[in-house]
Formats: sequence, structure tokens, C-alpha cells
Amino acid sequence: MNVQDYIASGSIESCTLGLADADELQEFHRLCDQYEEIRAARDAFEASLESQAREGAVPPPAFLCQRILENLPLQTREPRIGFRKKYLVAASIILLAASSLLNVYLYRQYRQSDNLYTDLLARQQEIAGNNQSMQTRLQEMEQDMQLIRNPDMQEIKMQPVNNTNSLTTVYWDVKSRDVYLMIQQLPTPAAGQQYQLWAIVEGTPVNAGVVAFEDRNGLLKMSNIPKAEAFAITLEKTGGSSSPTLTAMYVMGKV
Amino acid sequence: MATTPTYPEPELVALLQQKDETAFRYLYDHYAGSLNGIILQIVPDHDLAGDVLQEVFVNIWRRVNSYDPAKGRLFTWMLNIARNAAIDMTRSRAYRNNQKNRELDNLVDTGVAGSMQVQVDFIGLSKLLNQLKPEHRVLIELSYLNGYTHEEIAALQQVPLGTVKTRIRTALLQLRKLLT
Repeated sequence: MNVQDYIASGSIESCTLGLADADELQEFHRLCDQYEEIRAARDAFEASLESQAREGAVPPPAFLCQRILENLPLQTREPRIGFRKKYLVAASIILLAASSLLNVYLYRQYRQSDNLYTDLLARQQEIAGNNQSMQTRLQEMEQDMQLIRNPDMQEIKMQPVNNTNSLTTVYWDVKSRDVYLMIQQLPTPAAGQQYQLWAIVEGTPVNAGVVAFEDRNGLLKMSNIPKAEAFAITLEKTGGSSSPTLTAMYVMGKV
Repeated sequence: MATTPTYPEPELVALLQQKDETAFRYLYDHYAGSLNGIILQIVPDHDLAGDVLQEVFVNIWRRVNSYDPAKGRLFTWMLNIARNAAIDMTRSRAYRNNQKNRELDNLVDTGVAGSMQVQVDFIGLSKLLNQLKPEHRVLIELSYLNGYTHEEIAALQQVPLGTVKTRIRTALLQLRKLLT
């Protein structure tokens, strides 16, 4: 392969100007890679072509530049769309994250409200229950009050005996002969013991019922006693006794 | 123009391949005239040449990533795009019809190189071609400006293909001498 022959063959010009066929062009590129002199000859011819073209330049009309720029398939517009897209993606991710956080927050709020609601419901039921028991107590007290206001009711105050510092009252309906007991003050009985009311009828104690001792101030309905001159309370074993333990007498009151 | 930066070719190419508009504007400012001059050799009508130039720059913009600096200068690459675009234009039906009318009007058809007479003026390549021997000039015009293949020229001139190839090469060597 003679480099000078190749340079003098006109092949460089033919290839550079685009007049060569594919085979010739392929050989040209190969030789350019291989031989610096051929490459130099090519560069020189190209440079002379360019400067010749510059000499022969004809300025295009001024408006053409703008027209060309406007007709470019501009990548910068696409990236803008791309940027917008990215922005939209970023925005939707942020929105999603925000909405997730909001969901968590709202769920917590919901849980809190739900707990609060359950608490309130329980408390409301409790209050309703209290209210009912109050109503019951009020009703009982009203009934007691009714009994006491009855003009037929005889009040018998029972005074302490044996320094027991106790106080009770018997209300005795003189018509129906029903007996009610009101405990103002009595020591709480020990386990296995119970207070018992006695009616003293002609010197003999008659059982008037055991006292259902409880922490309330209402009237306790006792046995019907047709006739008595006095009432007394003794502490007995649970269920009561057939005769009173006189040493364990707490109060007594004469009719 | 004074504030326009000048780019070394590799940098310019790199920027163009990144679709840098400023670099493209620079490319246009520096090469539009040169390419327009070449296009006018092939498409003498200034309006049509403008259309071709627009297409050329759009193509440069689109295809700049396929430009391989190892295979030659950027200008040579653009020159080939311009030449091909201009020749394509002359082959379009619309252009041919237009051209026929023009030839009938002017009655300057020499029968050999078609519309060539119209292109001859005294700038750039034409000036150079005028300095070639007529038989060389015709070959350059037919092949380079009119885009005829060697086979077509052989048929047109009724000479063997080998002779056409040899003559064209000789003509090109003459042209190179004139260029340098």
C-alpha cells in the first residue's frame, strides 16, 4: 500500500465530498485510522473546503434564523415537560405521604375519640345506675316520710341503756299496729350477731323481729304488735333469740 | 457578535450533542452562510434555498449525536447534509415542475447538465469550477452538484464507467489544487 499513491488517487476528495461508494468509503476510513499522512491529507482538504465555502458564503435572510430556531424539535421543551412531570411525581409523592400522615393522625384521633366515647358511655351508664339507686333511695325516703307524717303514727324515743350511747325510735301505727324502727345510733354488730327488737307486753318481752342492720337511716318494718307498754333492743346471735339477753340491752323506750 | 463566545470544535460538538441552544445559535451564526452558499449552487432560488437551509439545520440538530469526529470535520459532515438536502430538493416533483417552467421561460437549457446554467455565477465554488477544464467542470457539476451517480454520468456521457471514475478523480485532484 503506497500512501502517496493513495493520496494522489483522488479518493480522499471523492470520499470527503460524498461521491464515493460504500466500499471506497470504508477503505478510506480504515486508511485514515491507519496512516497519519492520509489523515493529514484529509484534514487539509477538509480545511480548504471549509475556507472555500466561507469565501463563497451567502448570508441567509435574517428572518430565517428565528424561523429555524422556532422549528427545532427542542429538547429543552421536552425536559421542561419532563421537569413538570418530575415535579408532578414529586408533588404526588409528597401529597401521598402527607395524606398517609394525615390518615395516621386521623386514625389516632379516631382511636382517642373512640376510647373517650367508650369511657363516657361507661360513665354515663354508671351515672344512670347511680341515678336509679338515688331514685330508689329517694322513693324509700319519701315512703318513710309518708309513714312518719301519718297522724296515726306514734313516736317512741328509745333511750340508751348500760351506757351504750345508742339511740333509736319506734314508730307505731296505732290503727294498723304496724311497727317501724329508725336507728339513729347503734354500734355495728360483730359477725354472727344481730340486734333484736322486743315489745314488752304486760312485763313479758315479745319478739318484734330482728333488725336488718344496714348503713341507712330509713325506717325498718318490724313485726305487727297489737299491744305493748315498752320497746327494747338487745344484741343477740344472728337470727334472734326466743328470750332477750338483758345484759346486752342497748336501748329502751316506754310507750 | 463581539460577545459571542468562540468554541473549540470538540466543545461545540459536545454542547450540540447536549442540545445546547446557545451552541446551536453559534453554529448557525458561523456556518449558515457557508452552507447557504453551497445550497445556492444546487438550488439557485433563494427562497427554496432558505427552505433547504432550514431543513439542514433541523437535521443537524436532530442528528448531531451521529456525528463522529474521528471521521472528519464537523463542517464536512454538515456540508454533506446540506448537499444531500439540496439535491433532494431538486428531485422533488414540485421543484422539477417549477424548474421546467423556468427553463421554458429562459430557454437556456444546454441539454447536458440541465439547470446548470442558472447556477453559474462568480462566487465560491462556481468561481472555482470555472477555473477547471470544461470536461472536469461538467463532471464535478454532474456528480457533486446534481448528485448523479457514476453510472448515470457514464450513461449520460456515453463513456465507460471506469473512465467516468478516473475522470472524476482527476477532476477532484484539480479541484484540490485550486483549493489549496
